Amino acid sequence: MRRRITLPLLSIAAVTASLFVAVVPASAHGYISSPPSRQANCASGAVANCGDIVYEPQSVEAPKGSKQCNGGGSRFTVLNDTSKNWPVATVGQSVTFNWVLTARHSTTTWEYFIGNTLLASFNDGGAQPGATKSHTVSMGGFSGRQTVLARWNIADTVNAFYACVDLNIGGGGTTTPPTTTPPTTPPTTTPPTTTPPPASGTWAAGTAYVPGSLVTYGGLSYRCRQAHTALAGWEPPNVPALWERV
Amino acid sequence: MRSALLVVVMILAGCGSAPAEQHNSTDVMFLQMSLEYIAQGDRVAEPSAQRAGDARVRVLTAELHEQWARESTQMRGWLGDWKQPVEADPDTGVHAGHGDLHSLRASDIAELTAAKGDDFDRTAVNMLLGHLHNVVQVARMEATGGRDPRAKALAEAMTATRQEQIRRLLTLQAAATMGS
Repeated sequence: MRRRITLPLLSIAAVTASLFVAVVPASAHGYISSPPSRQANCASGAVANCGDIVYEPQSVEAPKGSKQCNGGGSRFTVLNDTSKNWPVATVGQSVTFNWVLTARHSTTTWEYFIGNTLLASFNDGGAQPGATKSHTVSMGGFSGRQTVLARWNIADTVNAFYACVDLNIGGGGTTTPPTTTPPTTPPTTTPPTTTPPPASGTWAAGTAYVPGSLVTYGGLSYRCRQAHTALAGWEPPNVPALWERV
Repeated sequence: MRSALLVVVMILAGCGSAPAEQHNSTDVMFLQMSLEYIAQGDRVAEPSAQRAGDARVRVLTAELHEQWARESTQMRGWLGDWKQPVEADPDTGVHAGHGDLHSLRASDIAELTAAKGDDFDRTAVNMLLGHLHNVVQVARMEATGGRDPRAKALAEAMTATRQEQIRRLLTLQAAATMGS
């Protein structure tokens, strides 16, 4: 009896598997995580009301050749919206762009533009990228508030993936970032499993907070959105995912 | 095409299911693929929990490892209840038809293992982000196409938890390279 049930179910799994494979890959590929691209700023919560892009910042895919942040077309037009208050990263003349890849497509080129100026093009000659991808690009003398458009051109499709990065470019050669060496917190490997009552008072590293916990930090009040153990660097104003202003 | 296949799936499900069966093939695929993704993700999370220079990365990856252990116990349990294998048929699973594009490869793990210092953290965070986005895609597929209420609830909880972890990783990433 059991056996008769199992076989049809397995074939169903097979049918759906092929269905699934045919449907899902349309939606997953890559974007720039740092300096944060517009879709990264949506997915991190730095910019609100971006729509579905928060679930798939990697999916800004459109035919090659566009100069628009969403690659043209009707999807993810929020990325073209200059009235949004896109955060601007302060950089020097040399900027390293880091990509998050969710599918490792064979690649022709990676291109970086400011306006119509091609800043750099990296030719991968059809190779598959590795686990991650980084490019260091000279800003070519541009300065001040600029938007860099990056295009990842796929070798075996007509499409590219698009990412816009908002920058404030300083002069000079290399910028040394303010070294944000994390404070030497002893390695906590297991977060405490107990749930203490909602803490209150001043935010403090090492405290376990639960949703609803109220704290003050820098003279402002915050409510915890997500259970976590506080660490230096996760101060309430820095991590909107964990704390909301009240 | 898609709806035709769905009809076939529903007919088959109708023939094959005992009355108590409340799951569909999407539930099965979700659990099988998620187990595979958990195994892959742990190959990034485990070294990261040990080696990351940034304590926040160590904590987050230790947290992921613990959550994945809990989730995979549930997933295996349900697949067992349904008499389904914990691994998809290799011809029809994660790897079929898409050439492993969405999977972490041995060479990716080797790249991480070889990375040192800041490079290790940067590689780990960007690999994890890519991986978690793939995980969320599968969970969202289940939330809309699944049938078993427990599996759907798990998928929704996973989506919320992973999205929050993605937000934290992206916030770290934005701060780490600001100005570089």
